[in-house]
Amino acid sequence: MLQFALWKRLLVIGVVLLGAWLCLPNLLNAGQRAGLPGFMPSETVKLGLDLKGGSYLLLEVDPEELQQNRLLELSRDIQRTLIKKPNNVKFRGREVVDGGVRFRVMEPTQIDEAKRRVRELSSPVGGIGGQQSLNISEQNGVMNVTFSSARLEELEVEALNDSIEVVRRRVDGSGTTDPNIQRQGSNRIVLEVPGLDDPTELIELIQRAGVMTVNLVDETADASQYRLDEPRLGKVKRQDAYSAREYVVHEDPILTGADFATASQGFDENNRPQINFTLKGRGPKVFGDFTSEHINDSFAIVLDGQVISAASVRSPILSGSGRITGSFEIQEANAIAIVLRAGELPAKLQVVEQRVVGAGLGEDSIRAGTTASAIGLALVAIFMILAYGLWGVFAVISLAANIMLIIGSLSGLGATLTLPGIAGIILTIGMAVDANVLVFERIREEHKNGRSPITSIEIGYKQASSTILDANLTTLIAAAVLFWLGSGPVKGFAVTLGIGVFTSVFTAFVLTRMFMADWVRTVRPKKLPV
Amino acid sequence: MLLKYLPTEPKIGFMKLRFGAFALSLVLIIASIAMVATRGLNFGIDFVGGVVIEIETSTKVDIGEIRDALSELDLDGVEVTEIKDNLVAEETGTTIALIKTKAPDAEGEAVEAAVQATASGILSALKDKFGDIEERRKEAVGPKVSGELLQDGIMALVVALGLMLLYIWFRFQWQFSIGAVLALIHDVILTIGMFAVTQFEFNLSTIAALLTIVGYSMNDTVVVYDRVREEMRRYKKMSDTDVIDMSINRTLSRTLLTSGTTLLALFSIFLLGGEVLRGFSFAMIWGVFIGTYSSIFIASAILLHTGLRRGSIGGGENENAPHGAQV
Repeated sequence: MLQFALWKRLLVIGVVLLGAWLCLPNLLNAGQRAGLPGFMPSETVKLGLDLKGGSYLLLEVDPEELQQNRLLELSRDIQRTLIKKPNNVKFRGREVVDGGVRFRVMEPTQIDEAKRRVRELSSPVGGIGGQQSLNISEQNGVMNVTFSSARLEELEVEALNDSIEVVRRRVDGSGTTDPNIQRQGSNRIVLEVPGLDDPTELIELIQRAGVMTVNLVDETADASQYRLDEPRLGKVKRQDAYSAREYVVHEDPILTGADFATASQGFDENNRPQINFTLKGRGPKVFGDFTSEHINDSFAIVLDGQVISAASVRSPILSGSGRITGSFEIQEANAIAIVLRAGELPAKLQVVEQRVVGAGLGEDSIRAGTTASAIGLALVAIFMILAYGLWGVFAVISLAANIMLIIGSLSGLGATLTLPGIAGIILTIGMAVDANVLVFERIREEHKNGRSPITSIEIGYKQASSTILDANLTTLIAAAVLFWLGSGPVKGFAVTLGIGVFTSVFTAFVLTRMFMADWVRTVRPKKLPV
Repeated sequence: MLLKYLPTEPKIGFMKLRFGAFALSLVLIIASIAMVATRGLNFGIDFVGGVVIEIETSTKVDIGEIRDALSELDLDGVEVTEIKDNLVAEETGTTIALIKTKAPDAEGEAVEAAVQATASGILSALKDKFGDIEERRKEAVGPKVSGELLQDGIMALVVALGLMLLYIWFRFQWQFSIGAVLALIHDVILTIGMFAVTQFEFNLSTIAALLTIVGYSMNDTVVVYDRVREEMRRYKKMSDTDVIDMSINRTLSRTLLTSGTTLLALFSIFLLGGEVLRGFSFAMIWGVFIGTYSSIFIASAILLHTGLRRGSIGGGENENAPHGAQV
């Protein structure tokens, strides 16, 4: 056990040096790091939001709203397919109720035709052979169409993916640096923004549904005949977003968000903020036709149920580009442009968890953490040296190498250090000497029983190895469970604890053993000092 | 050095004390359960939902004034505490206060929004009254998430206990794993009981602490068990009680040293690591004591009552077969 071949020796020294190498950037400030030559590592330990400050948001896609939105779409599709000529199906009372679309077919002879047409809207989920996406039932001419469970599941997955994309585009568009966006579970999104300590505006931006339509205004309609946001006979009353003014608009939009190619915030000739846009696909033609046919009529631009701008058509707009002016401020214009560019959310996102740490607290935490680590380390070092003398010094050198390896591993692996992670390191400092202590105690015992120093050390290491293996594997199990089931900072704790298990076994069992072997062969003590 | 003066083999009759220890543990377990049932745990917002805000005012402010400013908000149960021992606040003559309130009483979706609204309400009320304040920390957890966080936490504990049980079973024998797991459950209950007594906040990092205590206690137990297994092979004629006593005594100096260094490190987090880690390090300190106690008086002592059969120990199942067997 005490023979170290040269290659083993070099390997051990190599590992320690590698740890030091990876650790190095953490000792330098940003300026010095920038000056490092390219072959040097430049990655420092990534700090968690609790240490550097920032915002953590957990967003949830509302499944009920998602279903409602999709049912409204389905309802419009059903209308479209039923009124197709020839032989259009006559129906009445189309509405979205109890998680389905319901309508009454007026002529009993057309029931089969209605079923056939609705069935055409259905498709197998997940390709041919899958469960149908729609369930269709009929009783006394009343038809009820609902989504099948497979389709509902699929909708949720799609919605989460779409939402992540939209959130990413909106957050990027807002100029936020270095955001981290991740899926969590089946309907949640984690959004982490380092350095942002007031996420109010960002939350507002993310929570906008972003449903944009351009609708024809009915100037002859009497607004008092309508209730706000409740459609009646294909028309609906909408409120202006910036004033008390109300508009009655046709429910069917001329353009929707999908027709917009780009949008950006700019200024008009009076230096007031405006939004410039260009259309794509069928957009330019549709808008051109509309503006040609409706000279002097008004249209309203409706965002999330509120009119943000209304204008009357002076001349046909055939270029496929235009501008939106209104009573908005620059910031609002910018937000609208971002939302338009990023597209609409499949359903509203709810903030279910929000954690914000100011930069000041982060700095305090780092200071408290490093002070606590330094003092903890010093106390443990003094304790070990008092207990074991020279052997204690070996153990302390190993301990120092151990911490270097932990920090080096964290830097090298790109793992995130959190405040509980610092606690994990401190705990490792305390427990890391355990393997050394186990070995030293065994050696002491063997020596007491009258064995020679070298044999005592040999046997001590051999005897302690299975104990060390068992003891550390159980800690590793705890760390793995924490990492697997924990979230956020707890995960950070698990990472340092887990890394600490590996590095402390290495330093105690390999590095200290090398010291012990060298010492016992150079000094050739007649009696061990413990 | 100093260790020379510590005997390698003290002769303490631990197993003679085991019935006293069982009785003590039973009393403590009942007391813990009773405390949790009557006093309850001081759950953090991680588990019940709500808002925690830490602010720093620009000048020294009486904590009572902050309470008054918030009393107009019609929140049920606001706790305002000053963080006194913060060096920064002392130097600059400011006040750092922690404001905590539970999730508002509402149903379903509305409550998630209400939590967010409560947070902004508190901040604007304070800004109105005290002008320029720094938000050091703001956490708002909706009840939907908090319920899941608690479930996940309990899940983590159960899974960890289960895996360790399997590991010990695999490495030793089922009798050992029963002792080890009973000791761990004992530790977890007593630690939760301690939280009920002290009313330290019980939150996500407490769960992490509990799991680490479980790990630490297991570590301790395994060291003793390894020794028991080894000595049982070596001294085939000696009674179980004597073998276990001897094993504990022979590992005692190691136990004291490791607990000693771990406690040194933990006390430095407790005293210097700041507010956020206080509950965590407190749990761990308690856990080190209780874990050490339980590995001796629960985990090892139970071996005497599980019908351990000496014949099945050893016989090449362990490749690190102890050297001393030939002595």
